Amino acid sequence: MANPSPYPDSGVDTGVEPDRESTPGTPRWVKVFGIIALIVILLVVIVLLTGGGPGGGGHGPIRH
Amino acid sequence: MTPRLRKFALTTHVICSVGWLGAVASYIALDVAAATGQDAQTLRAAYLAMELIARYVIVPLALASLLTGLVMSLGTRWGLFRHYWVLISLLLTIFATIVLMAETRTISYFADRAADPTTSGDELRAMGNTLVHSIGGTVVLLVILVLNMYKPRGMTPYGWRKQHEHRTVSPP
Repeated sequence: MANPSPYPDSGVDTGVEPDRESTPGTPRWVKVFGIIALIVILLVVIVLLTGGGPGGGGHGPIRH
Repeated sequence: MTPRLRKFALTTHVICSVGWLGAVASYIALDVAAATGQDAQTLRAAYLAMELIARYVIVPLALASLLTGLVMSLGTRWGLFRHYWVLISLLLTIFATIVLMAETRTISYFADRAADPTTSGDELRAMGNTLVHSIGGTVVLLVILVLNMYKPRGMTPYGWRKQHEHRTVSPP
Protein backbone atom coordinates (compact mmCIF):
# COMPACT_ATOMS: atom_id res chain seq x y z
CA MET A 1 0.00 0.00 0.00
CA ALA A 2 1.29 3.44 -0.83
CA ASN A 3 2.46 5.56 2.02
CA PRO A 4 -0.34 8.02 2.79
CA SER A 5 0.47 11.70 2.65
CA PRO A 6 1.02 13.20 6.09
CA TYR A 7 -1.39 15.93 4.96
CA PRO A 8 -4.43 14.15 3.63
CA ASP A 9 -6.45 17.34 3.88
CA SER A 10 -4.16 19.27 1.65
CA GLY A 11 -4.89 20.34 -1.83
CA VAL A 12 -8.63 19.71 -1.58
CA ASP A 13 -9.31 23.35 -2.24
CA THR A 14 -6.38 24.68 -4.18
CA GLY A 15 -4.42 21.68 -5.36
CA VAL A 16 -1.41 22.95 -3.45
CA GLU A 17 1.00 20.42 -2.01
CA PRO A 18 1.45 21.44 1.63
CA ASP A 19 4.11 19.01 2.77
CA ARG A 20 6.97 20.42 0.83
CA GLU A 21 10.45 20.02 2.17
CA SER A 22 10.58 22.55 4.97
CA THR A 23 13.57 24.03 6.73
CA PRO A 24 13.95 24.71 10.45
CA GLY A 25 14.73 28.42 9.98
CA THR A 26 12.12 31.17 9.74
CA PRO A 27 11.16 31.67 6.07
CA ARG A 28 12.05 34.96 4.43
CA TRP A 29 8.44 35.84 3.69
CA VAL A 30 7.62 35.60 7.43
CA LYS A 31 10.50 37.96 8.27
CA VAL A 32 9.38 40.46 5.61
CA PHE A 33 5.80 40.14 6.83
CA GLY A 34 6.92 40.78 10.42
CA ILE A 35 8.92 43.87 9.45
CA ILE A 36 5.98 45.32 7.51
CA ALA A 37 3.62 44.58 10.43
CA LEU A 38 6.03 46.28 12.85
CA ILE A 39 6.25 49.38 10.64
CA VAL A 40 2.44 49.56 10.35
CA ILE A 41 2.01 49.19 14.14
CA LEU A 42 4.61 51.93 14.77
CA LEU A 43 2.89 54.25 12.29
CA VAL A 44 -0.51 53.65 13.94
CA VAL A 45 0.96 54.32 17.41
CA ILE A 46 2.62 57.53 16.17
CA VAL A 47 -0.62 58.72 14.54
CA LEU A 48 -2.61 57.96 17.71
CA LEU A 49 -0.05 59.66 19.98
CA THR A 50 0.05 62.78 17.84
CA GLY A 51 -3.75 63.05 18.05
CA GLY A 52 -4.49 62.49 14.39
CA GLY A 53 -6.84 59.60 14.96
CA PRO A 54 -9.44 58.45 12.47
CA GLY A 55 -12.56 60.48 11.88
CA GLY A 56 -10.76 63.75 12.34
CA GLY A 57 -9.56 63.86 15.94
CA GLY A 58 -10.02 61.50 18.79
CA HIS A 59 -10.77 57.81 18.81
CA GLY A 60 -14.10 56.15 19.45
CA PRO A 61 -17.40 57.53 20.69
CA ILE A 62 -15.88 58.99 23.85
CA ARG A 63 -14.63 61.97 21.87
CA HIS A 64 -18.10 63.55 21.98
CA MET B 1 -12.66 14.54 10.01
CA THR B 2 -14.30 12.56 7.22
CA PRO B 3 -13.82 13.88 3.65
CA ARG B 4 -17.50 14.81 3.42
CA LEU B 5 -17.45 16.70 6.72
CA ARG B 6 -14.18 18.37 5.77
CA LYS B 7 -15.67 19.55 2.49
CA PHE B 8 -18.70 20.94 4.32
CA ALA B 9 -16.52 22.72 6.89
CA LEU B 10 -14.33 24.17 4.14
CA THR B 11 -17.37 25.39 2.18
CA THR B 12 -18.82 27.02 5.30
CA HIS B 13 -15.47 28.66 6.06
CA VAL B 14 -15.13 30.06 2.54
CA ILE B 15 -18.73 31.36 2.58
CA CYS B 16 -18.18 33.13 5.91
CA SER B 17 -14.78 34.57 4.99
CA VAL B 18 -15.71 35.81 1.53
CA GLY B 19 -19.07 37.01 2.87
CA TRP B 20 -17.20 39.01 5.53
CA LEU B 21 -15.09 40.67 2.85
CA GLY B 22 -18.16 41.41 0.69
CA ALA B 23 -20.09 42.84 3.62
CA VAL B 24 -17.17 45.13 4.47
CA ALA B 25 -17.10 46.29 0.83
CA SER B 26 -20.76 47.33 1.01
CA TYR B 27 -20.09 48.94 4.39
CA ILE B 28 -17.28 51.03 2.86
CA ALA B 29 -19.72 52.38 0.26
CA LEU B 30 -21.91 53.69 3.09
CA ASP B 31 -18.86 54.89 5.01
CA VAL B 32 -17.78 56.94 1.98
CA ALA B 33 -21.30 58.39 1.78
CA ALA B 34 -21.06 59.33 5.47
CA ALA B 35 -17.64 60.89 4.92
CA THR B 36 -18.47 62.91 1.83
CA GLY B 37 -22.24 63.44 2.03
CA GLN B 38 -23.68 66.88 2.71
CA ASP B 39 -27.38 66.06 2.66
CA ALA B 40 -28.75 65.38 6.16
CA GLN B 41 -31.13 62.66 5.00
CA THR B 42 -28.37 60.82 3.16
CA LEU B 43 -26.12 61.01 6.22
CA ARG B 44 -28.88 59.78 8.52
CA ALA B 45 -29.64 56.85 6.21
CA ALA B 46 -25.94 55.99 5.81
CA TYR B 47 -25.20 55.91 9.55
CA LEU B 48 -28.28 53.80 10.27
CA ALA B 49 -27.50 51.33 7.49
CA MET B 50 -23.85 51.15 8.60
CA GLU B 51 -24.94 50.00 12.04
CA LEU B 52 -27.33 47.39 10.64
CA ILE B 53 -24.67 45.93 8.31
CA ALA B 54 -21.97 45.97 11.00
CA ARG B 55 -24.10 44.49 13.77
CA TYR B 56 -26.15 41.93 11.84
CA VAL B 57 -23.90 40.95 8.95
CA ILE B 58 -20.22 41.78 9.52
CA VAL B 59 -19.92 40.80 13.20
CA PRO B 60 -21.71 37.42 12.81
CA LEU B 61 -19.69 36.62 9.68
CA ALA B 62 -16.43 37.57 11.42
CA LEU B 63 -17.19 35.32 14.40
CA ALA B 64 -18.34 32.48 12.13
CA SER B 65 -15.21 32.88 10.00
CA LEU B 66 -12.98 32.67 13.08
CA LEU B 67 -14.87 29.64 14.40
CA THR B 68 -14.91 27.72 11.11
CA GLY B 69 -11.23 28.56 10.61
CA LEU B 70 -10.43 27.02 13.98
CA VAL B 71 -12.48 23.93 13.09
CA MET B 72 -10.71 23.61 9.73
CA SER B 73 -7.21 23.87 11.17
CA LEU B 74 -7.79 21.74 14.26
CA GLY B 75 -9.80 19.14 12.34
CA THR B 76 -7.15 18.63 9.67
CA ARG B 77 -3.45 17.88 9.64
CA TRP B 78 -2.65 21.53 8.95
CA GLY B 79 -2.95 22.24 12.69
CA LEU B 80 -3.22 25.64 14.28
CA PHE B 81 0.41 26.34 15.16
CA ARG B 82 2.31 24.15 12.69
CA HIS B 83 2.50 26.39 9.64
CA TYR B 84 3.31 30.09 9.61
CA TRP B 85 0.54 30.91 7.15
CA VAL B 86 -2.10 29.32 9.41
CA LEU B 87 -0.72 31.00 12.53
CA ILE B 88 -0.51 34.45 10.90
CA SER B 89 -4.02 34.04 9.43
CA LEU B 90 -5.33 33.18 12.90
CA LEU B 91 -3.62 36.16 14.56
CA LEU B 92 -4.83 38.58 11.87
CA THR B 93 -8.39 37.23 12.09
CA ILE B 94 -8.41 37.62 15.89
CA PHE B 95 -6.97 41.13 15.56
CA ALA B 96 -9.54 42.12 12.92
CA THR B 97 -12.40 40.72 15.02
CA ILE B 98 -11.27 42.58 18.17
CA VAL B 99 -10.96 45.89 16.29
CA LEU B 100 -14.36 45.26 14.68
CA MET B 101 -16.02 44.63 18.06
CA ALA B 102 -14.53 47.82 19.45
CA GLU B 103 -15.52 49.78 16.35
CA THR B 104 -19.11 48.57 16.62
CA ARG B 105 -19.50 50.84 19.67
CA THR B 106 -18.52 53.87 17.62
CA ILE B 107 -20.86 52.83 14.81
CA SER B 108 -23.74 52.38 17.27
CA TYR B 109 -23.03 55.82 18.69
CA PHE B 110 -23.19 57.36 15.19
CA ALA B 111 -26.44 55.51 14.47
CA ASP B 112 -28.00 56.64 17.75
CA ARG B 113 -27.12 60.27 16.96
CA ALA B 114 -28.42 59.88 13.41
CA ALA B 115 -31.69 58.35 14.64
CA ASP B 116 -32.24 61.26 17.01
CA PRO B 117 -34.49 63.78 15.18
CA THR B 118 -33.03 66.65 17.21
CA THR B 119 -29.56 66.07 15.70
CA SER B 120 -29.08 68.85 13.17
CA GLY B 121 -27.60 68.56 9.69
CA ASP B 122 -24.47 70.41 10.80
CA GLU B 123 -23.98 67.95 13.67
CA LEU B 124 -24.42 65.02 11.28
CA ARG B 125 -21.86 66.47 8.87
CA ALA B 126 -19.38 66.93 11.76
CA MET B 127 -19.82 63.42 13.14
CA GLY B 128 -17.05 61.74 11.22
CA ASN B 129 -16.68 58.26 9.77
CA THR B 130 -14.93 54.95 10.24
CA LEU B 131 -13.13 54.86 6.88
CA VAL B 132 -9.66 54.28 8.34
CA HIS B 133 -10.86 51.19 10.16
CA SER B 134 -13.00 49.83 7.33
CA ILE B 135 -10.28 50.26 4.70
CA GLY B 136 -7.62 48.95 7.10
CA GLY B 137 -9.86 45.98 7.87
CA THR B 138 -10.28 45.26 4.16
CA VAL B 139 -6.50 45.22 3.69
CA VAL B 140 -6.13 42.77 6.60
CA LEU B 141 -8.87 40.53 5.16
CA LEU B 142 -7.22 40.57 1.73
CA VAL B 143 -3.88 39.58 3.29
CA ILE B 144 -5.59 36.66 5.06
CA LEU B 145 -7.28 35.64 1.81
CA VAL B 146 -4.00 35.66 -0.11
CA LEU B 147 -2.25 33.66 2.63
CA ASN B 148 -5.06 31.08 2.59
CA MET B 149 -4.98 30.71 -1.19
CA TYR B 150 -1.21 30.59 -1.68
CA LYS B 151 -0.33 28.74 1.55
CA PRO B 152 3.32 29.87 1.51
CA ARG B 153 5.70 27.23 2.80
CA GLY B 154 7.32 27.38 6.20
CA MET B 155 6.85 25.40 9.37
CA THR B 156 7.01 26.80 12.87
CA PRO B 157 9.50 25.18 15.29
CA TYR B 158 6.49 23.46 16.89
CA GLY B 159 5.30 22.12 13.52
CA TRP B 160 8.81 20.99 12.66
CA ARG B 161 9.08 19.12 15.97
CA LYS B 162 5.67 17.49 15.49
CA GLN B 163 6.55 16.39 11.97
CA HIS B 164 9.73 14.75 13.20
CA GLU B 165 7.84 13.03 16.02
CA HIS B 166 5.35 11.74 13.44
CA ARG B 167 8.15 10.41 11.22
CA THR B 168 9.88 8.77 14.20
CA VAL B 169 6.69 7.05 15.36
CA SER B 170 5.62 5.89 11.88
CA PRO B 171 8.67 5.36 9.66
CA PRO B 172 8.06 4.93 5.92
